[in-house]
Amino acid sequence: MTPCEDDDLVARAKQGDREAFEALVRLHADRLHAVVRRLVDDPGEAEEATQEAFLRAWRSIGRFKGDSQFFTWLYRIGVNEAHRITSRRAGRGPVVRLDDEVVQPSDPGPGPATRVEHADLRAALEAAIGALEPEYRIPLVLRDIEGLSTAEAAQVMDIGEAALKSRLHRARLAVRDAVRDYLPDEADR
Amino acid sequence: MMRAMLLHPWRFGHDHRMTRALASNFLDGELDQDRSARVAAHAHVCPPCARFLASLRQTITGLRDLRETSEAPSVRDGVIDRLRSEGQAPDGD
Repeated sequence: MTPCEDDDLVARAKQGDREAFEALVRLHADRLHAVVRRLVDDPGEAEEATQEAFLRAWRSIGRFKGDSQFFTWLYRIGVNEAHRITSRRAGRGPVVRLDDEVVQPSDPGPGPATRVEHADLRAALEAAIGALEPEYRIPLVLRDIEGLSTAEAAQVMDIGEAALKSRLHRARLAVRDAVRDYLPDEADR
Repeated sequence: MMRAMLLHPWRFGHDHRMTRALASNFLDGELDQDRSARVAAHAHVCPPCARFLASLRQTITGLRDLRETSEAPSVRDGVIDRLRSEGQAPDGD
């Protein structure tokens, strides 16, 4: 992400420059979608939530004060939109669940046995993430998968850094407990 | 001498609990120097904590690897289409 580039585009978008905002979409849409996909069950609804987040961001960008980076403000809108959709679905079935699909690693590594181990660990990790409650899943997705800093993830969730760290630690422990049979140093114990 | 101090029951128990509670901060490099050194020293004399830290580190590495292998199709065009068809002008300040 490029905060300086964002700043210029945001300034132009605040003046109503739609092309500038579309440039922000091109910079951030797929990463925001990656976050939302891990929070919303249905792939179609995840895309809808991503679109809604950008529509809301466009309509309210005049109120973006620049107290945080643009993408943390955008992620907060996206996370809230994902929450709104999962809440709407709550009475109709599972609130949140990850895709069952396991994507093969792009770099398969040295051999078939290693590929199987990676795929097994991936599947176990995905299932473990999917079993987390949103308040623990969101910090894990933002911090460990998307690579946001503690401060950035805390801003997205609108909580303090201490609370973010506490939730992240609990989430990691839950995931670690769920996947420990697939970890290299644990499997042979 | 140092090892004996680390293995003193009171110190060992305290450091053990601290290691479990602060493991994420330790692995993220977000502990101050004193506590980080204390966790590292405890893991040196406590095999269960050494394994605990190793497995947590592997878990975090595995989570980070998930990002690199995401192959979802781009949604950029869909977002831009929605903006062009439904996106009203931004609200004023």
